Amino acid sequence: MKIKVVESVLKANDAVASENRRRLDAAGVLAINLMSAPGSGKTTLLEKTIPALAPVRCAVLVGDLQTTRDAERLGKCAADVVQINTGRGCHLTATQVAEGLASLDLNGISFLFIENVGNMVCPAGVDLGEHVRVALLSTPEGDDKVAKYPTLFQPADAVLLTKIDLLGALDYDKRKVYEDLSRINTRAVLIELSPKAGAGMERWLAWLRQQRGERT
Amino acid sequence: MHEMGIASALVEQLAALARQHCAARITALHVVCGAMRQVVPEALQWAFAAASAGTVADGATLTVSEQGVTGRCRHCGQQFAAQIDDYRCPQCSVADVEVLTGQDIVLESVMCEMQDETAV
Repeated sequence: MKIKVVESVLKANDAVASENRRRLDAAGVLAINLMSAPGSGKTTLLEKTIPALAPVRCAVLVGDLQTTRDAERLGKCAADVVQINTGRGCHLTATQVAEGLASLDLNGISFLFIENVGNMVCPAGVDLGEHVRVALLSTPEGDDKVAKYPTLFQPADAVLLTKIDLLGALDYDKRKVYEDLSRINTRAVLIELSPKAGAGMERWLAWLRQQRGERT
Repeated sequence: MHEMGIASALVEQLAALARQHCAARITALHVVCGAMRQVVPEALQWAFAAASAGTVADGATLTVSEQGVTGRCRHCGQQFAAQIDDYRCPQCSVADVEVLTGQDIVLESVMCEMQDETAV
């Protein structure tokens, strides 16, 4: 017997994501899904961002295939951190985020940073219940990555061009990033950033505060 | 390899469907993947074979087709077919699109054997 179904395979994930968002809204927390390749500087960005937002309190859910190293780094600055080890999973799921939320104390938290598994394909388009999506791209990865991985950048609310302090040491044409983004996503704000050197941090922090003001 | 997560979700969906229709076995299914999901059909088939082993869908034939990307320009309202690497509106050239199709994964249909073990 043939059964016509026409039902989204992703609906179970999306239902949990909606519930996560409702829970975060009720707590007045802005959730930011950070996505990028491994090594683009997500954890370093958070190490600089979280203290700069003080006295506002931040929590972090950090996804990695293995180890608790990122959680150990971020535990020094965030109010609360939960490490999610995905094992073989190449991206976080809404259910993993729901489990992480269950062990976080959201009371008094303003920002929840969800540091996704480092991967430029798999996390794209998987709703976790976040309010904003941020895609990072570090200069050593090359100036062609927006064109090569468009689905990561298309839904992004902000694109952070990180490690901008290394530009002088690289054969890097920054204009290509702007050109490629003009075909893929003109809505996203593009911020050139070096969390270590401090460049662009004020703009990034102002953007975060603006998002929280608008969305919570 | 995000296909493994999709395959696991499919297997759960098929188990629920089999219960709902009192089906003994799922023998075939067709899935439509939005182009933005970047699903590799062979990888999904391989992952599905692994994820469905020992379930009601064990051995089922999975066919996959792709759905293109369409969107609506947030600036001028124009609806258009976009490319996975180009979301510019043909009318106003701005790449600020509300994606309408191309990012979902849909179980379209299944073939099943009913509980009296007779293929209908």
